[in-house]
Amino acid sequence: MSRPLRLALPQGALWEETLVALEAAGLATGALRDGGRRLVIEAGAVRYILARPSDIPTYVAHGAADAGIVGKDVLLESDADVLELADLRYGRCRFVVAAPADTLDRSLDEYRHLGSLEVATKYPRVAAEHFQRRGIQVEIIKLGGSAEVAPQVGLADWIVDLVATGRTLAENRLAVVEEIATCTARLVANRVAYARDRERIATLARKLEDWAGRGGSASSDARSSR
Amino acid sequence: MADVPHGLAVPRGFRDILPTEARELHAIERLLMGTFASYGYVPLEPPAVEFATGALTLDERRVLRFLDRDGRLLALRPDVTTAVARVVAQRYGRSDATLRLSYFTPVFREEPSMRGSEREYDQAGVELIGAKGALADAEVIGLLGDALARCGLRSAEIDVGHVGYVAGFLEELAPERREASAGRIRDGDLVGALVAAREHGLPDRRAGALEAGLRHRGSDLSALRADAPAGSVRALDELAALAPLLEAAGVGGAVRYDLGFVPALAYYSGVVFQVTVPDLGFAVAAGGRYDGLLGRFGGDRAATGFGIAVPHLHQAIVAEGWAVTDEAPLVILGPGGDDIATLRAATALRGAGVAVAIGEVAETAGRPTVRAKVVDERHVEFEGSRRTVDELVAALRR
Repeated sequence: MSRPLRLALPQGALWEETLVALEAAGLATGALRDGGRRLVIEAGAVRYILARPSDIPTYVAHGAADAGIVGKDVLLESDADVLELADLRYGRCRFVVAAPADTLDRSLDEYRHLGSLEVATKYPRVAAEHFQRRGIQVEIIKLGGSAEVAPQVGLADWIVDLVATGRTLAENRLAVVEEIATCTARLVANRVAYARDRERIATLARKLEDWAGRGGSASSDARSSR
Repeated sequence: MADVPHGLAVPRGFRDILPTEARELHAIERLLMGTFASYGYVPLEPPAVEFATGALTLDERRVLRFLDRDGRLLALRPDVTTAVARVVAQRYGRSDATLRLSYFTPVFREEPSMRGSEREYDQAGVELIGAKGALADAEVIGLLGDALARCGLRSAEIDVGHVGYVAGFLEELAPERREASAGRIRDGDLVGALVAAREHGLPDRRAGALEAGLRHRGSDLSALRADAPAGSVRALDELAALAPLLEAAGVGGAVRYDLGFVPALAYYSGVVFQVTVPDLGFAVAAGGRYDGLLGRFGGDRAATGFGIAVPHLHQAIVAEGWAVTDEAPLVILGPGGDDIATLRAATALRGAGVAVAIGEVAETAGRPTVRAKVVDERHVEFEGSRRTVDELVAALRR
C-alpha cells in the first residue's frame, strides 16, 4: 500500500490507554511517546494525527483521517457520519441524568406542576435526544464547563453529565436519576476509507478487538478523576 | 454598499460557480448525458420545487422547505428519485412498462451550519424502472462504470454489496427486534448493531459470521456461505450470478464485492453499489435496487438506478489531471480595417465552425485561445503572416 494509513488519536483522557492498545495491535508508537508538540507524526506505514477528541469524528467523516480512536460519548454528541468498527472497552464512563439528592422529589413535583424542567449540560444533543425519547419536556441550558454546579446555584433543576466513578456527583450532592448510555473507546473509520483500505482497517479492528477481549488495558478505569 | 441587504454574500452552502468550473461542469454534463443516451436513457426534468410531503428518500430534516403565498409547505427538490417515482406513477400507470430515465440537475439538501457542506449541488443519474434481475443490475452498474470512464476517471473502484445479506441474519430475530440492528448498521454503528443482535437472540455462530461478512471485501464470497442463514445465502447467490455479467459489461476489473457496504438509506432492497476514489472521503456515486419505493406512489415496481455527486466526480477527475478536451480553441479577433470588415471576417469564420470573439477577452474560463487580427473582410494576420479566412480555418483544424 503506497499511502500511510491516517489514524486520528485523541489527546487527553484516552491517550495512555490508546498507546497501549496500538502497541498490542502491533503498531509502532515510539514516535508518539516522544513526539514533542508535533500533531502529525509519521511512524512506518501509519500517519498519526493528534486531535482534540471532539474533533475526531469530523476528521474521519470528511476523510482527513482514514480511521480514528474516540470515545462513544463523543460520537453520541456528534452526528458525524462515520463507521464504528470495534469496541476497545477502555475509557469506560456513563452519560447520566443527575439531580440534587435532597430535592429529587421536589423537582419531580415541579415537573408535574410546571410541565417543564431545566437541564444544564455540556452535551446538549445527547440530553435533548434522551428527553425527547422519554417524552419529557425540558429546556436545555448548554454550558462549556462543569454542569455539576448548575443546580446548586439555581441555574437548572437537573444536569446531564458524563461520569466515570460518580465521585464528583457525590461531592456536589447530586444523585443519579437515570443512566442514558455506557460509553467506551471505539475504533471508527471513514466510509470510503473502509471500502478502499479494507484489509488494513479491518485487520486493525480485529486486532484491537481481540486485545480488548483478552482484558485489554490493565488500568481500564483510568478516567477516575471525574 | 451599506444599503445592500447582507452585502454581497450568498447564503451558506450556496456559491457562485465561476466560468472555469462551470465550463468543466458543462463538459461533464455532455459526457454523462451522452453516455446515458447511448444506453437508451432519455432525459427527465422534474421541477425544482415539489410539495414538502413527498420526500421519500431522505430524513425530513435534510429537506429545504418554505411556505408559498397559498400557505402550502413546499420543498426544494432534495433528490430526483422521488420526483421520478411521482412522474412514473402519474404518467406511466401500466405496471409492466420498462422506462430508462436520466437526469443532470441541481439538488438541495439542508446541512447543519459550520460543516463546510454545500446545500446545492449537481446530481446526475439514471433510473431503470420495471426491469428486474441480474441483467438490469448489471446494466446500471456497467453504465455507471462506462460513464465515469468516459469522464476520464481512472482510479474508481465499484463496491458492490447486497442489503439482503445483513437482512438474512436479522430475519433470525423476532420481527420487532430487527430494526434495532438494521438501523444501527445503516447509521454505521457496526459495534452497536452486533451487540443488539446478540442481545436479541442471534446465536454466537451467526453473529460471528455476520461480523466476518461485514469485514469481507474481495472477489471471492464463497467463504461467507458456511454459517450464513438461507436469506443471506440467496443474496450471495445473486452476487455470484451478477459477477460474470459485470465482467461482460466491461466493469469486472473495477468491482469489489463488499458486504460491509450498507447504504445509509433504508429503501434499498437488493444489490447496492458505490464508487470510491482513493483521496476523497466521500463516495463519487451510489445506487442500487429499490423495488419497494415506487409503491408509495402506486403499485410496486422493480427499479434500480444511481446518482453521481457531480462535484465529487469533478474534484476526482481534476485531481487526476483531467481537462476539457472536446472544445476547439477560441479565436480572439483583433479588429482591423473598419468595423464592417471585422464583422464580416468574424461571420465567415463562425460560418466555418470556428468560435470567434471580437476584441478583448478577460475571462477565457480555461479554454485555449489563439489571436488573429483582421486585415480586411477576407484576410487576417495570424502567427505573423497574412492568411485568408479559409487558410486560418484550415490551420486551426490541424
